[in-house]
Amino acid sequence: MLRPWLNSGIVRSLSLVQRPLYPVLIQRSFSSARTLHATPDRVPLRKQLKQEAKSLKARKKQRKESEEASRQTWELTVGVEIHAQLDVAAKLFSKAATSTSDAPNSNVALFDLAFPGSQPEFQAATLLPALRAAIALNCEIQPVSRFDRKHYFYQDQPAGYQITQYYEPFARNGYVDLYDYDGIAPEDGDRVRIDIKQVQLEQDTAKSQEYPPSTQLLDFNRVSHPLIEIITMPQIHTPATAAACVRKLQSILQSCSAVTTGMELGGLRADVNVSIRRRGEAPGQCSYDGISGLGQRTEIKNLSSFKAVEDAIIAEKNRQIRLLESGGVVEGETRGWTIGSTETRLLRGKEGAVDYRYMPDPDIPPLVIGEDVIAHLQENLPTSPDALLAQLTGPEYGIPIEDAKPLIELDDGARLEYYQDVVDILHTLQGDSGQSQPAALARIAGNWVLHELGGLLTKADRSWDAEIVPARSLAELVHHLQIKKITGPTAKQVLAVIFEGDRRPVAQILEDENLLLRPLSRDEYAVLASAAIALNPGMAMSIRSKNQLGKLGWFVGQVMRMGEKGRVEAPKAEEVLRELIFGAKR
Amino acid sequence: MSLLREAERLITNQHAQAQALNAFITPLPRAGQWVDRVKEADRRREQGKPKSKLDGRLVSIKDNICTRDLPTTCASGILDKFTSPFNATVVDQLEDAGAIIAGKTNLDEFGMGSNSVHSRFGPVKNSRRDSSGQDLVAGGSSGGSAVAVAADQCYVALGTDTGGSVRLPAAYAGTVGFKPSYGLISRWGVIAYANSLDTVGILGRTTSSVRDVFSILNRHDERDPTSVSAFSRTRILEQLQESRFASRLTSTPLRIGVPVEYNISELTPSVRRAWLMSLAHLQAQGHTIQPVSLPATKHALSAYYVLAPAEASSNLAKYDGVRYGIRADGPDNTGKPDGYLYSNTRGSGFGSEVQRRILLGTFSLSADAMDNYFIQAQRVRRLVQLDFNAVFRATHPLAAAAGDSDAATSSSSDVDVLICPTAPSSPPRLSDVTGPSPGSSPLDAYVNDVFTVPASLAGLPAISVPVTASESGQDSDASDLTGIQVVGQYGDDELVMQVGELLEGLHFGSS
Repeated sequence: MLRPWLNSGIVRSLSLVQRPLYPVLIQRSFSSARTLHATPDRVPLRKQLKQEAKSLKARKKQRKESEEASRQTWELTVGVEIHAQLDVAAKLFSKAATSTSDAPNSNVALFDLAFPGSQPEFQAATLLPALRAAIALNCEIQPVSRFDRKHYFYQDQPAGYQITQYYEPFARNGYVDLYDYDGIAPEDGDRVRIDIKQVQLEQDTAKSQEYPPSTQLLDFNRVSHPLIEIITMPQIHTPATAAACVRKLQSILQSCSAVTTGMELGGLRADVNVSIRRRGEAPGQCSYDGISGLGQRTEIKNLSSFKAVEDAIIAEKNRQIRLLESGGVVEGETRGWTIGSTETRLLRGKEGAVDYRYMPDPDIPPLVIGEDVIAHLQENLPTSPDALLAQLTGPEYGIPIEDAKPLIELDDGARLEYYQDVVDILHTLQGDSGQSQPAALARIAGNWVLHELGGLLTKADRSWDAEIVPARSLAELVHHLQIKKITGPTAKQVLAVIFEGDRRPVAQILEDENLLLRPLSRDEYAVLASAAIALNPGMAMSIRSKNQLGKLGWFVGQVMRMGEKGRVEAPKAEEVLRELIFGAKR
Repeated sequence: MSLLREAERLITNQHAQAQALNAFITPLPRAGQWVDRVKEADRRREQGKPKSKLDGRLVSIKDNICTRDLPTTCASGILDKFTSPFNATVVDQLEDAGAIIAGKTNLDEFGMGSNSVHSRFGPVKNSRRDSSGQDLVAGGSSGGSAVAVAADQCYVALGTDTGGSVRLPAAYAGTVGFKPSYGLISRWGVIAYANSLDTVGILGRTTSSVRDVFSILNRHDERDPTSVSAFSRTRILEQLQESRFASRLTSTPLRIGVPVEYNISELTPSVRRAWLMSLAHLQAQGHTIQPVSLPATKHALSAYYVLAPAEASSNLAKYDGVRYGIRADGPDNTGKPDGYLYSNTRGSGFGSEVQRRILLGTFSLSADAMDNYFIQAQRVRRLVQLDFNAVFRATHPLAAAAGDSDAATSSSSDVDVLICPTAPSSPPRLSDVTGPSPGSSPLDAYVNDVFTVPASLAGLPAISVPVTASESGQDSDASDLTGIQVVGQYGDDELVMQVGELLEGLHFGSS
């Protein structure tokens, strides 16, 4: 079944098929018969869509097969480097504010512009999100770490060097576990562990805006925004797992409030290094991060989406395979990737490689991190996404995994927070009435938060805001439903009203609009049911004689339609119908 | 004499000798707001309430120290007409003490040089001449500050000392030049040449005037991450207040170390004579003279000329003409996307010596050379520090408390200060180091730093004081004036100045 919020996403993506948007929408919303009368010079839309879907499927299958074939022959090895903007108020080495929205060049200290005579002033608060991230990634925090200068000339780099932690990073030897539900490749099984070599603190660069042919504007607000760089070991062997790894790292960083925004908004960038070697042959000559026997690797810089990570690795792997199979040699190059492209492109050849001339920064004292700080942060670290998932799918909540994942991931965790508020309020409302098992209640709440409310958001194309439908309102609504004061359709109707901005308390809406369920008596049900049967005696007969219970539902529908809106409860209607149709049997 | 009359006399000298000595890049104008400030200082002095001993005094500032009111050029084309938006901490401290910033002095570009000839604004000339009347170099890189003091163009001056840049010109110009322990004077606003070695130094006609300045600048500054904390300062003082240290020069004589490695064959006779006579003078006063060995010294100069250019190549990467400073005319790359962004700007903005050191440093930091040059030089630097720790009686107050067994076990001697020449020879002729085909290579200039570099590598306090030792039967001439250097343990700055004072201005005859 298509989730409502997925549904409209598909509608939107259809518009990419380079046809005006409105016929798609119009034709989808009317009966399919209309499309049969489309003008003869146009391929009927439905047919076209079908063909497109078919050929897409075929391409995917073909790609899958060729991928599998190359995988049999070649082993891919990938390591990932993630740069993430830390969520802090000040820059790494000055008190200037970090900002993404302020007027350009309004938050810049002397040192950020590398003014002669200015000196760095390490902002200790930076350490808090950085340490949370490193702890969440299971790293060993180093009691002493140091800052180094990485030299290269570029106009977005005022000092001519970036301050980073090259020789002695503040965290080492961590790992991230990727599970099947994280979207790893099937050949990786249920779980794969990727080791993290190190996590280091460093400065961001300025933002350039190009105005071709010859103008570049520089905004130094971003310069020296604190970043962490996370470097994994080259232990990933499929493109899907690499993308899953980046996605997982992002969700971990977000869950511990270490970073500002996700990849979509530029708060996170990934570089990947890619090498291949032929299976069953002598090991390769190259060694990276202590893993030897690998082939010559190339690096693809600045990937800005999960899909780009996966696609770029596939393209680069295939390029290397083609190269080696035609007798060529892979060079240690730096390559780039354009979204939507099928080939990586050369950025810098090996001979053009930059020698960064790493040098310890003589002005910045070593960073000494006390055990007490680490212990405190460890104790107060928010629950990890994996633990949350286990909790949500466990006995306490009982949510299916395909619902639990979006709950955790949507809206930077805000949706989950909202959900937990709803569940908490529900539990208080239910009190000791013991109407439902806690897990059942939580599961129902999950459905309403994710699908009913999510559907309304998607339909209205609004982004998440916990205030659109306050958690208390939704909880009260579900509570009324649970204790059978209203019917399901009424609950949906009221949710839509609140969504549109009605701020009356739920109880008052139900009262004012006369929506509270006034249960029909048994006799009233019998009257309705008899009338329905009387209108369709043949069908009742065939249910009775051929025991076609499936048709009972149709009668239930009829009864619901005939009865007063919002008063007929389906289970009760069915019960009475059964009695009337089967009569003697009961 | 009133402060105002004194100031007017000095300013008159500044302007009168501007052409002849070229000590200033930006002199103080004859008239200006400073006149009123000196008059106010005069009034305070009459009332017996001066702000400090520098109230109303003229202090010149080396032109690599930032001043908001005067340009700061580093004697470089790349910062031609640059004015810093802020004052260095030392400038604020001086002005708060009532001192008048009396112009910006000439130097070797960014402090790189030993003769003050590598300046966009032309070489500084020594106010002394040799016996045949030839112009002599001022020494560098704080040559302008040294000459301004020597030629009565200011009361005292600030310089910077990375490998001897205050002590060497002091020795050549015949003034006192003091480099304090690393980290005592703030470097905020001091334009970096090699941060791990850079210190602000003080030049004056007497040690006493130098001490007055030092007492104003010797403060923690939170804006300089290498500034010694208030806590550490207290700890250093407490160690020096132990009776065995507090009694030095008051009730117990000194043990004076003479590093035997410094007695090199290149030492000119007049320098050796001044050294010996200074030692004899101190011995005659009851102090003990003791030969000591500093074996790593012979590698110190090479290590310095690897480390300092390495840091310089990094520190000077910021000068690209994009945010401040001078940008070369026309497009600054080949027009290709991979073109070098700033090659014209940097190529025309930097002088030859700066370019040489940037290239040296870039090389020694490159991946293939790093281990053999930069890392190796850092090891030598550590050995030089251990050498000093082994000979001083006082332990290094900032050295790791445990595990420094090297220093503890090999302690062969226990001297209070070391005394040696500041430079191996008297100042060379200006004509020998400038002109179209100078008669010397860059290496000849580097050699002049051989005695000053070790204290810089170890971050130790050192002072150069003028001593004259004339040969028998002759009138003393310029070549008889020598700088004698006193080096002490880290934090022993006051003792170093006191010993300097014992020697300062002595004239030794032949007898």
